[in-house]
Amino acid sequence: MLSTPRLITRCKNVDTSILTIIRTKRTKANKNSTGVSPQMQRVVTQLSVMSARKKQPKMLKLSNEDLIKHQTIETAWKIYQDKLQGQRTLRLKKQYFAVKEAMDTLKEVSPALFYEANVDESGKTFPMELRVPTDAPPREIWHYDYTLKTTET
Amino acid sequence: MFRNGSATTFNTSKRGFFTSTILRGKPGCALVPPVHHLVKIDKSKLSPRFPGLKYDKDDIRSPAYHPKNTHQDRVQEHYLNTLQSDMMLMNYSHEAKTEKGLKKRTWDVSKSPYHVNRPLRRPQGPEGQRPDVHPIIWNNIPSIDNVILNCYVAESRDNELLAVSALLQLQQITGCKPSIIYSKSNVPNWKIRSGRQMGAKIKLTGLPMHQFLSTLSEIVLPRIRKYRGIKLSSGDSLGNISLGLTAADVKFFPEIDANQDLWPKTFGFHITINTTAETDDRARTLISGFQLPFDLEPSKKEA
Repeated sequence: MLSTPRLITRCKNVDTSILTIIRTKRTKANKNSTGVSPQMQRVVTQLSVMSARKKQPKMLKLSNEDLIKHQTIETAWKIYQDKLQGQRTLRLKKQYFAVKEAMDTLKEVSPALFYEANVDESGKTFPMELRVPTDAPPREIWHYDYTLKTTET
Repeated sequence: MFRNGSATTFNTSKRGFFTSTILRGKPGCALVPPVHHLVKIDKSKLSPRFPGLKYDKDDIRSPAYHPKNTHQDRVQEHYLNTLQSDMMLMNYSHEAKTEKGLKKRTWDVSKSPYHVNRPLRRPQGPEGQRPDVHPIIWNNIPSIDNVILNCYVAESRDNELLAVSALLQLQQITGCKPSIIYSKSNVPNWKIRSGRQMGAKIKLTGLPMHQFLSTLSEIVLPRIRKYRGIKLSSGDSLGNISLGLTAADVKFFPEIDANQDLWPKTFGFHITINTTAETDDRARTLISGFQLPFDLEPSKKEA
């Protein structure tokens, strides 16, 4: 075992000889840049925002009962959606054939009106006043006395 | 078997050594009967090792499971409840026939025996082949298929880090993961090297697409000063309409607008709305139903 004074001197020697060199190096590095430039740091942050790891949700561990519940609900939802889809298609189909029948009748009854009704409207746009309905509509839902502003030349 | 340093008994040209995938440009199976291995073997399904990886992606036990239908989609509902039937009635044309597009022509074989098996003649006139245009009936009403955002950053030829910013910008705006655009070829005049990261693009479908469209039509476009609407000249004649946003316009997106300090530089991008409509006119009718304005009086702009 070493005596205390010898140990101290030893440590002193080591410290003075090695640490001084290291210190200069470190301070030099610190002065120039803290690892990367701030511009680069910004990009690193941007990339970390986009990393897949952060977006991966935690995987659910379902018990057997929960799994069966989940699958039942999924199946029921699918069946319900199919039913809705079927209803929509049927409605459109009925609407189409109703129009077709009406136009056939109109053609026989009044060719002039039929011509008016059958004018090509391709490229016609919906009015800008048409809104996508929201959950939080305004208090005054519809401006009943609204008139379309005509653009002046 | 390996005498004289050559493995002539093996024919390794057909597929890779460890995979059953077919090498490019090589036939994956014998071309003469008996023909084997027409169905690709998914080896992960054969292995008993990782049962968790064998589930479909829409199975909740799969690691790739992503819940769908988490929100009510009001834009989709608007389309189904209002636009769909309106579109059908607006485009109704009595006893309309399918308009045949230009097609390639066949050769008259009776004129010359050399015309047998000859590649088809190009269509008459200066234009190429065109698809048929069908009348709209109850089962082919146009709908929006997908929306593609393409953000090409020309300055990233000097500073590739700008492409990363563009990537993040698209992700912030859409909430979906964009993919990177790489330059394909060397163009010395434009100082472009192939393989360089030049921007970002993303294909939106479903709820994110509707979310983006409603943000665009309700928040962004109304805030652009002197915005005239989408030009009538826009469109590829196949029912896909494009518009562009400048870097200044992009700042109106609420995600960018909320923390402007983080976005000293924004990037403009092109928006392509791909629809199932067969002509541009039908696509315009459809898109205008989502409150996207069209420049219907373009002549007044110049006056």
